[in-house]
Amino acid sequence: MKTEGSRIESLRKDLSRLLGGGKVRTEPEDLLAYSSDATRYYAQGKPEAVVLVESVDDVCKVLSYANQCAVPVTPRGAGSGLSGGSTPIKGGIVLDMKRMNKILEISKGNMTARTESGVVLANFHRAVEKERLFYPPDPQSMDVCTLGGNVACRAGGPRGVKYGTTPNYVLGLEAVLPDGSVINTGGISVKQANGYNITQILTGSEGTLAVITKVNLRLLPLPPERQTMIVVCDSAQLAAEMVSRIIYEGVVPAVLEYLEVGAIWLMNTYSPIPVAQDGQVYLLIEVDGTAAIVAEDIGVIKGIAEKMGAREIKIIDDKKQAAGIWKARRNLSPLVLRIFQKSISEDVTVPRDKIPEMVKAVREIGASLGVPVGMSGHAGDGNIHPGVQLYEITPEMEQKAEEAIRLMIEKGIELGGTISGEHGIGLHKSAYLEKELGKDQIELMKRIKYAFDPKGIMNPGKIWTEA
Amino acid sequence: MIGDLDYYKGLVEKCSHCALCEAVCPVYLEDMLETHVARARVDIIYQTLYKKSMPVTPRVREIIDRCLLCTSCTQDCGGAVPVHEIIITARAALYGGRKHDPLRDYFIREMMEKRGIKGFPALMLAAAQKLHVAPGGFPKVSLRTFDSLYHGRYPPTGKKRAKVAYFTGCATNTMDVETGVAVMKVLGHNGIEVVIPDKLMCCGIRALGEGDIKTAQKIVRNNIAILAEQEVDAIIVDCTSCGMMLRSETAKLLPADDPLLAKAVALSPKVFEVSDYLNTIGLAVEPGPLAESFTYHVPCHRGWTPTLNDAPLQLLAGIPGLKYSAMEEPEKCCGAGGAFFMDYSGLSRGIRKRKLDDITGTGAAVLISQCPGCRSYLSAGLGKRWKTVHPVTLLRRAYGL
Ligand SMILES: Cc1cc2nc3c(=O)[nH]c(=O)nc-3n(C[C@H](O)[C@H](O)[C@H](O)COP(=O)(O)OP(=O)(O)OC[C@H]3O[C@@H](n4cnc5c(N)ncnc54)[C@H](O)[C@@H]3O)c2cc1C
Repeated sequence: MKTEGSRIESLRKDLSRLLGGGKVRTEPEDLLAYSSDATRYYAQGKPEAVVLVESVDDVCKVLSYANQCAVPVTPRGAGSGLSGGSTPIKGGIVLDMKRMNKILEISKGNMTARTESGVVLANFHRAVEKERLFYPPDPQSMDVCTLGGNVACRAGGPRGVKYGTTPNYVLGLEAVLPDGSVINTGGISVKQANGYNITQILTGSEGTLAVITKVNLRLLPLPPERQTMIVVCDSAQLAAEMVSRIIYEGVVPAVLEYLEVGAIWLMNTYSPIPVAQDGQVYLLIEVDGTAAIVAEDIGVIKGIAEKMGAREIKIIDDKKQAAGIWKARRNLSPLVLRIFQKSISEDVTVPRDKIPEMVKAVREIGASLGVPVGMSGHAGDGNIHPGVQLYEITPEMEQKAEEAIRLMIEKGIELGGTISGEHGIGLHKSAYLEKELGKDQIELMKRIKYAFDPKGIMNPGKIWTEA
Repeated sequence: MIGDLDYYKGLVEKCSHCALCEAVCPVYLEDMLETHVARARVDIIYQTLYKKSMPVTPRVREIIDRCLLCTSCTQDCGGAVPVHEIIITARAALYGGRKHDPLRDYFIREMMEKRGIKGFPALMLAAAQKLHVAPGGFPKVSLRTFDSLYHGRYPPTGKKRAKVAYFTGCATNTMDVETGVAVMKVLGHNGIEVVIPDKLMCCGIRALGEGDIKTAQKIVRNNIAILAEQEVDAIIVDCTSCGMMLRSETAKLLPADDPLLAKAVALSPKVFEVSDYLNTIGLAVEPGPLAESFTYHVPCHRGWTPTLNDAPLQLLAGIPGLKYSAMEEPEKCCGAGGAFFMDYSGLSRGIRKRKLDDITGTGAAVLISQCPGCRSYLSAGLGKRWKTVHPVTLLRRAYGL
């Protein structure tokens, strides 16, 4: 058995020989920097080497080496994941994909794009919007998260309500299998019926099957107008019912966010939110389309909100102010720590018509256990991110938090929902997956995993718990 | 208090690890290595200086030093983690003001206390620049300093509307005297009486960069004592870094029981960058036309006043014929970082390269910015075709002063 030090040293030597020293990092400080994602509270696992790949060729070299020597490999985008997915709990190599950041093609004629997988989502948004094209998925980490990470986690975001999430836009992938071979799945055609849909198996695979190196994405025309509005409600129940009502009436806003007053208060410390903070729940809405459609949708939502007794309805005309509000929204998760010591945001998602019931259950769970619970999220698609916040980190509170989370997840499943709408399973939800999908399906997943990765080097220890 | 490790412990723990700082850190975006972004830096400081679970290695020092102190991450952080203050505090703990060889440390302290490069060092630098052996991007020193031209009280032309004290930093005082002259003329022309207080030192930001808290405290104590004496409506700076020091950092440098602390706090809201100030009180005289086009680089040290970002654009909007051509990402760092570009010249040039592409992409011929460091570093990269000036210099020309 080699010691940790000598393992690191031999990895460094071997990888440097393969790739050149500049792309390989093994100093303890660098290993610390790559030891977890945005959920360091849960688990950390230090890699033994970090490799900053710059090309498909680099990826092939690292994977065939790792496969030969049975060294674990964890692909990593921005490390902004919320499931512990890129935490290398079994050590080995972390593959930093962010230097593979070229947008290779934006086709106006085909309304598609092809990029390397390390491209940062916001940069991609800017590039396609310059061509008056639109790529809707908007995980709130968009300023940093990578397209590869988005595909690997099936990332969503506020716009999911109208436009769906990442998987709805992935047409094809280039991926490197653990043995170093390169596959090109799907294609760039907007419809395909070419055998098993390997593209969609890799989409959501969380780095456990292969390394995604390029992505082909479908685009839409950029909606010419957008308009932000805020509806203030006196109770959580009213807000939840309003969400269901808006959808029921057939208006599908681009964004329909459910934010509790605490969230609004926090966001206001970051960027001014021009509504009184005397409500309970705030619906932050954006509609998009042609000017006529935007005006009509705003009118319908306003009508519904008035009829149901909204406390305040605020149309945000100032574009700069609207941008500030959305930026504050993107920062909500770090903002929460201005007050709390710890915040765990869950990803339970329920059918949209079950939102009122879910909201009620979450509140009751919080009250019965005596833990602060909050919900702020993408209500329009049933993904309201119920969460637990702790003022103080004590073993007792940690235990209660865990219990609250378990109850929320069970409630979500009972209502016909899923334990994860967009963050992925990773480490933190693996204990619950069997409850949702059943043993047989997990066994099938394991067989699929074996077909891709017989030696089990790809991101081991994720998605399901090991027996 | 900046420099006090204990004080920052709780704030270090407020880092949620969200990774959003990856979007704004110029060093990270150039190095593309997560170790060099705030999230990791703060973690490494936590492990080495607080938990002491890791030793302070040369690599740790490099990670803590390889930061421009541009404050972009601090300004953006949802968790309100004051990253730049934590970095400065870590540097203080690591170096205690003795970061370089004694000669260089002495030179830096001299420069700060004399407010710029003067006397013998100035002659040396001027000679080195003549021979092209001085660090590239370092501004030309002027042997005719601002404080040799202006001191005391300057009544305005026309009706007096306000009275201000003008704080000139090292750059305006000894390298970019032209900007100082422009500020004097434009303020006077607009009915503003200007006082140039005696015996001010530099703003102290350079000392903070060195982690030299003692010198920084000495400097801000000196300056606060003098500025608090002035019976003026506002304290004006032309440099956004000086402004940041006076407005938001000075009070953080003084211990709670320091008698000057209350004065520093009282003074803070009176501090304005000159374009911002002129906007608040309005121009008394309409400027004449200028047939030119300009673009605007927003300095990194802009977080201390919300109106600072747009101030020059608002100020110059009234000049007939003057065309503004916006660059992509006007807030993106230029890479200078005070004297950072001398120690990390390759890195800084890489950061500047992206900025230069954005600037030249505008097709303008004049670049404005309220930071003398950005101006000289960018100007060195842009070459002769470009004029790089403080916004007030354009206004001065529009007035024909
Ligand atoms: C403030 C904040 C807000 C967020 N908001 C949202 C939101 O609204 N919606 C949402 O869905 N998520 C959200 N997230 C979660 C996260 O940003 C997304 O899951 C994102 O897709 C992760 O991308 P990444 O590049 O950071 O990937 P990482 O975190 O680095 O990795 C995530 C997973 O993908 C795998 N992976 C990464 N790149 C590749 C690749 N090239 N090939 C194969 N596997 C790969 C990793 O192994 C890991 O399992 C948020 C996170 C934060 C911090």
